[in-house]
Amino acid sequence: MQITVERSGGFTGMPLTLSIDTAHLAPEQATHLRHLVEAADFFHLPATVSVPAQPDRFEYEVTVREGDRKHTVTVGEAAMPERLKPLLAWVIEAARQR
Amino acid sequence: MHLCHHPLCCFVPPYMAENLQTSDDPAVRQIALASLGNEYRTARRLLTPQFLAPSLIGQVTGKERYVFDMKGTSDPLPGKLVRREGDRPVEDEAANEAYDHTGDVYDFYQAVFGRDSLDDAGFPLRSSIHVGDTFDAPMSNAFFNGKQMAYGDGDGNLFTRFTKSLDVVGHELTHGVLSFTSNLDYFDESGALNESFADIMGSLVNQWKHNQTVSQADWYIGKEMLGPGARIKGLRTMTGEKAYKGDPDFGTDPQPKHYRDRYRGGRNRGGVHVNSGIPNHAFYLAAMTIGGYAWEKTGKIWYATMKSGLESNASFKDAADATIAVAGYYGNGSDEQKAVRSAWQQVGVI
Repeated sequence: MQITVERSGGFTGMPLTLSIDTAHLAPEQATHLRHLVEAADFFHLPATVSVPAQPDRFEYEVTVREGDRKHTVTVGEAAMPERLKPLLAWVIEAARQR
Repeated sequence: MHLCHHPLCCFVPPYMAENLQTSDDPAVRQIALASLGNEYRTARRLLTPQFLAPSLIGQVTGKERYVFDMKGTSDPLPGKLVRREGDRPVEDEAANEAYDHTGDVYDFYQAVFGRDSLDDAGFPLRSSIHVGDTFDAPMSNAFFNGKQMAYGDGDGNLFTRFTKSLDVVGHELTHGVLSFTSNLDYFDESGALNESFADIMGSLVNQWKHNQTVSQADWYIGKEMLGPGARIKGLRTMTGEKAYKGDPDFGTDPQPKHYRDRYRGGRNRGGVHVNSGIPNHAFYLAAMTIGGYAWEKTGKIWYATMKSGLESNASFKDAADATIAVAGYYGNGSDEQKAVRSAWQQVGVI
């Protein structure tokens, strides 16, 4: 399973791209990540959440690929679905540690 | 009955408000009730000069600042009140910066454009500091959420606290002004215009505060919130150069300066922070040609345009047409109008 997170926006406009491949993770980490994807019900999340934009907020584009399944969710931080947060938080933290 | 003795809360003294409650004029009764109920903003909006004794005029000021501390969390805003209008400086530098810079932005809009806060009716200016991001980590950002400002503390390396930069505060508060005026849709060209007006006004506040002519200004945006590990000069520039090139942390400045180089992808809501480089550069070119202090003529043309010259779905071309039309105030075919037209031609919008 591959997960890509692209953050854009913010006052600085600096983009941030993070990628994780379960093939490069320790088995317990890979299992935990899959569990987070399930818990987010990721493949059933709407592709976009349409709410009025707040200027200079961050936007996140999250893509999960597994086998021939692929889904992308684009969401502003002000409208982030609660169940997506643990998955995003883990990916950001894991990328920070590498 | 609520009696308020704070001089900044009650611009209509309680004894006067009590008398006014029994006025024959319904508008006067409304003002009295609003004043007694501490809804001074409502009351102020209702006031007309005929009800104001000369001694009260100075007190009807819209500068009403509040600073709150989120202590690293993201939610719920605004957090704990740490400084309010009229309070002396506190120990937390971020709070004092938010307070002082917000005051400077208010003063700029009032002095230069005659505008009383974001809505031109004394909108209270609330700022939260030490705001965390969605994951309660330090936030390298500042934003306006429709009701208030929020400032992060940066990562301590590439960014420090965002309250440090006057042009950041001016930029965010200008998003507020835009929400009460042209309300430019925050995507594609209208979004890039929204970003551009915010950058332009943020820069002008800075130039005004430091009394800089167009030649003295450095035309860079986002310098003071860069951290000890940042080696770039600033985040954006309104000049034709790249703000940074090949930097190991920041890479290369992606902003185009000509319409043919505009970003056409979907990231960042259609590149609102990227394509803003084009209208920013147009302002810079016009200001440098017109000369003097950029906020005086060029700034007024751009302010009048953002206030009442644009629909919310305006394109770059609409902004060019509008600024050129407004510049006609200085005379049809005037040097000012020629400068504005030439600027938009140089960036390839017309």
